[in-house]
Amino acid sequence: MPAITSAVGAVTIVTLNHYLALSGVVFAIGMVAVLIRRNVIVMLMGIELMLNAVNLAMVAFAHYRQDVSGNILAFFVMTVAAAEAGVGLGLAVNIFKRFKEVNIKSFEHLKG
Amino acid sequence: MDLSTLLFLVLSFLIVVFSAAVVILPNPIYAALSLAVTMISLGFMYFLLQAYFIAGVQLIVYAGAVMVLFVMVLMLFDLRKEIAAFSGGKFAGLLKILCGLFFSGALVLAIRQGVIALNVSPGEPTPAEQIEMVKSLAMRLFTQYVLAFEALGILLLVVAVGVVAVARSRGGTHASHN
Repeated sequence: MPAITSAVGAVTIVTLNHYLALSGVVFAIGMVAVLIRRNVIVMLMGIELMLNAVNLAMVAFAHYRQDVSGNILAFFVMTVAAAEAGVGLGLAVNIFKRFKEVNIKSFEHLKG
Repeated sequence: MDLSTLLFLVLSFLIVVFSAAVVILPNPIYAALSLAVTMISLGFMYFLLQAYFIAGVQLIVYAGAVMVLFVMVLMLFDLRKEIAAFSGGKFAGLLKILCGLFFSGALVLAIRQGVIALNVSPGEPTPAEQIEMVKSLAMRLFTQYVLAFEALGILLLVVAVGVVAVARSRGGTHASHN
């Protein structure tokens, strides 16, 4: 399998595997953002990063398989992600109005 | 090294660095800025993958609308006194970062070991072919996937109503406490 190497004169062809590896790395970074941050908005940003990583994998598959269905699925994911960001930020505004902070631990006091 | 390989390397470097900056930077405004750069780089990567419609939607919806939403909500908040931006103690945080490193390493290793290297890399399409690709995407979207498309419209409507119901202030515009 051809790989990108820094060796002089090596054959450098970008394959599907490179895109999938990049997608996996971005997904892991988004997961770490959700795990170690306490700000609700930054956690939402981590979720957006994960969704984008999945989109990248799907578009790469669509390109290398010559099948346009992956693009359509990525389009659907984008729309749902926009809706999800709207709901999450609405909840964050609600939390901030009550507790004057956007920490994740405030979620347990939110009811009704 | 041809142009597309070079572009892939530069864009993947930008994506990894700025998405890591989203995690590392304690100020949420800088995190939002890094996220915007990541989204734009991903949009260019979709161009590289010849998904022109998706690239446009990425730039308009993600780098435009969603980022404006994030930054606007950040502006609503008074985040000068951001205490405890990161969770837990030192040990738990280290454990979480190690989890992330292990996860990404396992994914990359699995992809390297796998035999999914589809090497049917097509040539650079002409502009007429590019238009044809967008057209075929639209044909599929409005024939085979039309039910999902309509369901998505209903979902957006429900979400719009739901967000207003969640975020409205009860008891007028100047309600102090309820």
